[in-house]
Amino acid sequence: MSLDFLVGFTIFMLALIMVVSMVPGLLVGLQSSGIDYDAVAYRTGVILAEDPGWPVYPPWEMKTDAYKDEIERMGLAASKETPNILLSTKVDAFFNSFFTADDYRSKAIFGDIPYSYNFSLRSEDYNYATGDPLPPGYGYIRRAVKIKEPGVANISYNSSFNETTLDPSEPRVFTVRLDFSQLLDPSVGPAYRIDPRTEPVNITITEFGRYLNATASAENATLRDVTFWKMDPTVPMPRFTRIPFSYNTEDPDLYTLSLDGNSSDLKPNAPVNSSISLVLKPVATSIFTLDQNSVLDIRFTFDDGVPQRTFMNGTYLYDYDNVTIADLKPAVLEVAIW
Amino acid sequence: MAGMNEDGQWIVLMGLLAAVGLFFLALVINQSAIVGQTTAEGVIEFPKNDIRDLREAVFDYTDKFRTVPDSDETKKNVQKDIIAISLERKNAVVDFSVGGPQEISGRNLHPIEIRYNNGVTEYHETVYY
Amino acid sequence: MVNDRGQLYTMEGVAAGVIMLLTAYIVVSTTSVYTAGDTHIPDMQLEQLGSDVLAMMDTPDRDGKESQLVGFVKMGTGGGNDLRDAFLNNSRMRAGDPDNDLHAQVFLSYRRSDGSVNTTELSPPSDPGFTGRENAVRVTRWVQLDGNPSGIPGLGYSPRPRAVLVEVLLWRA
Repeated sequence: MSLDFLVGFTIFMLALIMVVSMVPGLLVGLQSSGIDYDAVAYRTGVILAEDPGWPVYPPWEMKTDAYKDEIERMGLAASKETPNILLSTKVDAFFNSFFTADDYRSKAIFGDIPYSYNFSLRSEDYNYATGDPLPPGYGYIRRAVKIKEPGVANISYNSSFNETTLDPSEPRVFTVRLDFSQLLDPSVGPAYRIDPRTEPVNITITEFGRYLNATASAENATLRDVTFWKMDPTVPMPRFTRIPFSYNTEDPDLYTLSLDGNSSDLKPNAPVNSSISLVLKPVATSIFTLDQNSVLDIRFTFDDGVPQRTFMNGTYLYDYDNVTIADLKPAVLEVAIW
Repeated sequence: MAGMNEDGQWIVLMGLLAAVGLFFLALVINQSAIVGQTTAEGVIEFPKNDIRDLREAVFDYTDKFRTVPDSDETKKNVQKDIIAISLERKNAVVDFSVGGPQEISGRNLHPIEIRYNNGVTEYHETVYY
Repeated sequence: MVNDRGQLYTMEGVAAGVIMLLTAYIVVSTTSVYTAGDTHIPDMQLEQLGSDVLAMMDTPDRDGKESQLVGFVKMGTGGGNDLRDAFLNNSRMRAGDPDNDLHAQVFLSYRRSDGSVNTTELSPPSDPGFTGRENAVRVTRWVQLDGNPSGIPGLGYSPRPRAVLVEVLLWRA
C-alpha cells in the first residue's frame, strides 16, 4: 500500500461523494415543481366536470354503500353532451356520502401513486369540500360550472281540481301523471330535461285547506294512500296497472312523504289539512322498470266515507308547462392534487 | 512513460461507471420533466374548447336557419362570418354544410358536416342534428 | 525512491474525478433547462378557466331563454364593461377569498361589408394595468345575433343576423 495509491483513491472517493450528494438535490428539485400534480388535477377536473360517470343507467349516484364497487367512474356532468353542467344529485352523492379516500382515488383521480386530494364546489347555495388541507406546492385546476337542480311541481289551489259535483260517497283520487315520452323528448336539451330516472320527482300540494268540503265544514280530510300505477302505451289495449311496491315501509332512500310537515309511509290513513309533499327518489323510479314510453301515475286517494271531506280530484300533468324548473346555478369546482 | 503499469486503471473505470450511471439517471429525470411539460402543451395545443365552441355555433346556425333555403343571403352571410372570422382571428380553416332533413328514428334531423384545420389539428365530423 | 509509478494512481484518481464531476455538471445543467418548461401550466389553467366561464355565460339559465353573453354582446360597446365585470366575477370565484389578481379585456371581432374582419375593443377604457407585456391568454366564443350590436364602428351592413366572435384577454397581475 503506497502513498500515491492512497492519494489517488482519496481523490476518486471525494469526487464520488460530491457527485452522489448532488443526485438527491436533482430529484428533490423535480418533485416540488409539481409538474405531474397539475396534469393529474387537470385530468380529474375534466372527469368531474365533463363526464356523467359510469355506469350511466342506472346512474352511479344511485349506488348505495353496499354496491359502491360497481361504480367505475364518478363524473358529475348531466350528460356527455353538456360539459360543465353538473347534476345536483350527482354532486350530493359525490360529496355527501360514504366514499373513502381510496374510492376517490380509484374512481375519480386514477393514478398509480396514492395522491392526496382536495375537491371543493362553491356557489351561493353550495358549499361542499372533501379531502385534506392544502399543503404548499399542490397541482390545481379550477372549472366554472353550472348546477342543474330537479324541478318541483307546486300545486296550489286550482278550481279544475276542486270537483264539487262528484258523488258524495266516491273516494277522491288526485293523480299526478308523468308521461315519459313527453318528458324525455329529445327536443329538450339534457341541461333542461326533467328526467325522473336520474332526478327526484317533487310534488308539493299547498293550500290543501281550500280543497276541503266547506259545506260539511270539514277541517281535514283523510289521505288513505298514495299508489303508483304504470301504463305502457305501446302494447295493444294499454291500461294502468298498480306497481307492486312496499307501500307500508318508510324508506327515505326511496321516497319521503310528509303530511302537514309530519313524515309518513305511503298508506298514512291520516288526516291532513294544509299541505302534502312527496319526493320520489330516482332509486324508486328505477325499481318501477319504466322505459321512455311509459306513463307513471301517482295517485293520492282521499277517503272519509259519506260525506267526503275534500273535493280534490283530477289529473295534474307533471310536464314542462306545469313543473317549476329551477335556473341553472353558477358554481366553481376546484381540484387540488399533491 | 516507459515502465508504466496498468494497476491503477480500475479507478478510471469506476469513474466511467459512475458517469454512465449519472447519464441514465439524467435521461429518466428529463423524461419525467417532459411529461408535465407536454401535458400542459398538449392541452393548450389541442383546440378542444375551440372545436366545441364551433360545433355549438354551427348547431345554433342550424336552429336558426333550419327552414331557410340555402340561397338566402342572410343565411349565406352568417356562414361567411364564421368562416372569415375563424381564418382571421383563430388561424383556422373552417367549413361546414347543413344537409336537408332526414328521418332518423322518428325525428327529422339534419346531417351537418364540420371541417376544422388550424395547421396542427385537423377535425372532421358528420353529425345529425 | 522516485519513479513513474509514483504518480500513476494519483493521475488516475484525478482523471476519474474529473469524468464524474463533468458528467454531473452536464446533467445538472441540461435538466434545469427542461424544468423551465412548466411555465406553460399556468397558461393552461387560465385558458381552461376562461373558456369555461365564457361557455357558462353563453349557457341560458332556462330552456329557450337568452344567454347572459348574448345579452351583453347585443348592447355592443354599451355592454362591454358589464360583460367584463360579469366575466371577472365568474373567473375570480373560488373557495375562500376571490382571486382578485385576474384581469380581463374584452374584444369583438366581426366581418364588415367589404369582407374584411375587424376587431374592436368592447370594454373601454383599457385596464390601466395592461402594458402588453403580461403573459395573457386569449379565449373566444361564438355569438349569433339577430341584428347589429350597437356602437360598433364600420359594421357597414344594414342590420342582419350575424355571427361575431367575443375575444377575452385574460391575465394575472
